[in-house]
Amino acid sequence: METAANITLMIESRIENVSLLGGAVRGIANALSLDELSCYQLELCVVEAVSNATKHAYHSETGHPVEVDVLLFQDRITFKICDEGESLKPAKVRPLRFDPQKLETVPESGMGLFIMHALMDEVSYETVGGRNILTMSKYLRKREHPV
Amino acid sequence: MQLHHTRNGDVLIVRPLEKRIDAATAAEFKENMSNWISAGNRRIVLNLKEVDFIDSSGLGAIVSSLKKIGTEGDLVICTVKETVMSLFRLTRMNRVFDIFASEDEAVKSLSGKA
Repeated sequence: METAANITLMIESRIENVSLLGGAVRGIANALSLDELSCYQLELCVVEAVSNATKHAYHSETGHPVEVDVLLFQDRITFKICDEGESLKPAKVRPLRFDPQKLETVPESGMGLFIMHALMDEVSYETVGGRNILTMSKYLRKREHPV
Repeated sequence: MQLHHTRNGDVLIVRPLEKRIDAATAAEFKENMSNWISAGNRRIVLNLKEVDFIDSSGLGAIVSSLKKIGTEGDLVICTVKETVMSLFRLTRMNRVFDIFASEDEAVKSLSGKA
């Protein structure tokens, strides 16, 4: 299926910059007339992915590029989060397991990948020529208007 | 990050005045909460009325505060927006924290707790 529209956003790997990308994604989601929850979820997934790139791929080192390509298809929106840092090990993707009654088992970190996998319809990760690309897609269900 | 705080009896009520608790603000949030807990505050209400975005780092900072209080007190949450609530449900944190519709109910739940 052909891409209807696309936009590329870029920040320097600085954690303070992540909310700028989040705001831009929320703006794009709003423009698509998505409901409030869907807008939040898309922003959340992109923020988690960009935070991971900044914190883990670049080890919180500033001065590196993090790029987000937003591709809008007729039936879905796709985000490609690209960095040139350390590649993510697939083993780090794990389900969120804990006992809510046992406080010591409740996680304080490591929830980002779980959130992305839970909220997005498709998530994949590849490294091509030293460039890490996390691709996430969400199929769109636009707000229904009464006829 | 600006955190408004007031006291109702021996319950500390903390209300973030910013719309986001995310990777950029989580460390500061956690440090402020930690200082209040170290100062002896063991019953805390976190009022999320103004907050419309929390990510996993923000959530982790809230969990960390609960763990620091330990079993000698409690941290409860109130007035959570539906979007933020969806994150608590997704991560099952709604089963870890007591979450109330109003600040009054949250304060009441802590009154009389050891």
